[in-house]
Amino acid sequence: MSATVALSNISHQFDGIAALQDVSLTVKPGEIVVLLGASGAGKSTLLSLLDGRLDEWQGQAEVLGSKLSEGTAPTRQKRTEVGFIFQEFALVDRLSVYQNVMNGRLGHMRVWQSLWGRFDERDHMAVSAALRDTGLADLARRRTDQISGGQRQRVAIARCLAQEPKLILADEPVSNLDPAHAEKILALITGQARKRGIGVIFSSHQPELSQRFADRIVGLRQGEILFDSPAGQITQDHIKQLYYGDTPGGGLRVVS
Amino acid sequence: MSRIVIWVSLAVAILWSLTTADIGLGKLPGAGVRLADFLGRMLPPDLSIWPEVLNGLAETLRIAILGTLFSVILSSGLAVLASENLMPPAIWRPVRAVLAVIRAIPLILVAMLMVGAVGLGPLPGILAVTFHATGMLAKFYAEAIDNVASAPVAALESAGANTVQRLRWAIWPQMAPVVLRDTVFRFELNLRESLILGIVGAGGIGLYIQTYVRSFQYEKAATVTLAIIVLVLLSELINGALRKRFS
Repeated sequence: MSATVALSNISHQFDGIAALQDVSLTVKPGEIVVLLGASGAGKSTLLSLLDGRLDEWQGQAEVLGSKLSEGTAPTRQKRTEVGFIFQEFALVDRLSVYQNVMNGRLGHMRVWQSLWGRFDERDHMAVSAALRDTGLADLARRRTDQISGGQRQRVAIARCLAQEPKLILADEPVSNLDPAHAEKILALITGQARKRGIGVIFSSHQPELSQRFADRIVGLRQGEILFDSPAGQITQDHIKQLYYGDTPGGGLRVVS
Repeated sequence: MSRIVIWVSLAVAILWSLTTADIGLGKLPGAGVRLADFLGRMLPPDLSIWPEVLNGLAETLRIAILGTLFSVILSSGLAVLASENLMPPAIWRPVRAVLAVIRAIPLILVAMLMVGAVGLGPLPGILAVTFHATGMLAKFYAEAIDNVASAPVAALESAGANTVQRLRWAIWPQMAPVVLRDTVFRFELNLRESLILGIVGAGGIGLYIQTYVRSFQYEKAATVTLAIIVLVLLSELINGALRKRFS
C-alpha cells in the first residue's frame, strides 16, 4: 500500500529564515503521527505544505498519491481528501453549528446548488453523522458564537469529519484547551480517525499527551527533524534535546 | 502634540470666533417675543392640507427608497474595487479618493446640479441621493469586506470550497450584519436629507415647506413640520429595531 504522505528534502524560507530544512518524512495509511516541537519549530509550516497552502518551497511532496507542485493549488477534488482542523477553530461565528459543519461538505457539492443552501440527502446524512460522533447533535441549531470553546473545537472537528477526508491534519488542536478538555478532544480525533481507518498528522508542544495518542512522534526543531520514533520509544532525553537543546548544559532549568 | 498646544489652539479658535463673528448680541432681547409671535401664527396647524402633505411625504419616501436602492447597487460594485484585500493599491487608492470627493460635495449642491441637468421633479432628487449616498456606502462596504476574518475563509478553501462558495458561506455571513446595519443607517440619512430637496426643486415635501413659509401660511407649514417629525420618529424607531436585529 502506498504511503499517505511522502516528503523528500523539503525546504522553505520565511522572511529569510529557514522554516523547513531538508525535511523528509513518510507516513503510512492509518498512522497517527504527531509533529512535536516548540513554537516556531516549523510544525504549522509543514502542515500548511501538506494541505497545499504553502508558497515557495523546494523538494518533492506527495500526499494521498498526488504530487504537490509549488505554486499550483490542489484541485477541489484533492482538497476534499485532506481535512484540516485549525488551531483557532476558524468557524463562521454567525452561522449555526449545523451550517458550519455543512461547510465541510462544500467541496463535494454542485456550486450553484450550494449557494442557495439546497443540500443533498447525502450531505445532510454526513453532517448528522459528524454531529452525532462529536456529541453535538443537541447543539445543531445554536449559533456558533453562543457555545463554549470546547464545543467550538468539536464543531471544527465535526466539519472536518463531515468532509469525509482520507487524511486529517490538525494544527495544535488542543493548545487553547484545559488539560481535561485537551485529552477528550485528542481522544475524539484519534478515535474517529481509527474508526474510519484514516491517518492523522497533528502538531503539538505537549509531549505527554502526544505520546498517549500517537503511533509515532516526529520531533522538529528550527525547521529540521531531530528525531522520528515510535511514540513508546520517546524518552526524556528526546524531549530535553527537542526543547532545551540549545540551553547550556542541555538540561531542564530549575526555577526555585 | 502636547496638551498645552491643544488647549492654546482651542482657546485661539474660540477667541477668534467670538471676536470676528459679528454676532450682534443686541438682537437677542427681542428675539423671544418675535419667536413667540411666529409660533403663535403656526397654531393651530391647518390639518385640511393632509392629502397634499401625505403626497409630499410619499414622494420623499420614494426618493429615499430608490436613492438607497440604487446607491446599494452601485456601492456593491465600487466596494469590491475599493477593498484593500481584494484589489491592488493601484485600483483601491484612486477609487477611495473618488469616493472621498463624492462625500465632500454637499447633497443640496448635487441636487441643484441634477435639477439643472434633468429638470424639476423627483428624478433629480433620486439621482442626487444615489450619488451622495454611494460615496459613503461604498466606503463602508469596502471596510466590511476588509474586516472579514481570513481564517474561516481559509478553512473553507481547505475543505474544497471554490471562490463563490467561500464568498457565500464564509465572507458574506461575516459582513452581512455590517452591510445591513450601514444600509439601514444610510436609508435613515437619505430620508432626512430628502426632506429638504424640494427647496431646490428636486421633489418631495421640502417644496411645501418652502411654499407655505414664503407665502406666510404658517399654520400649514406647522402641519408639514408635524408630519415630518412623525415620519422621522417612525423611521428612527423602525431603523433602530432593524439595527438591533442585525447586530
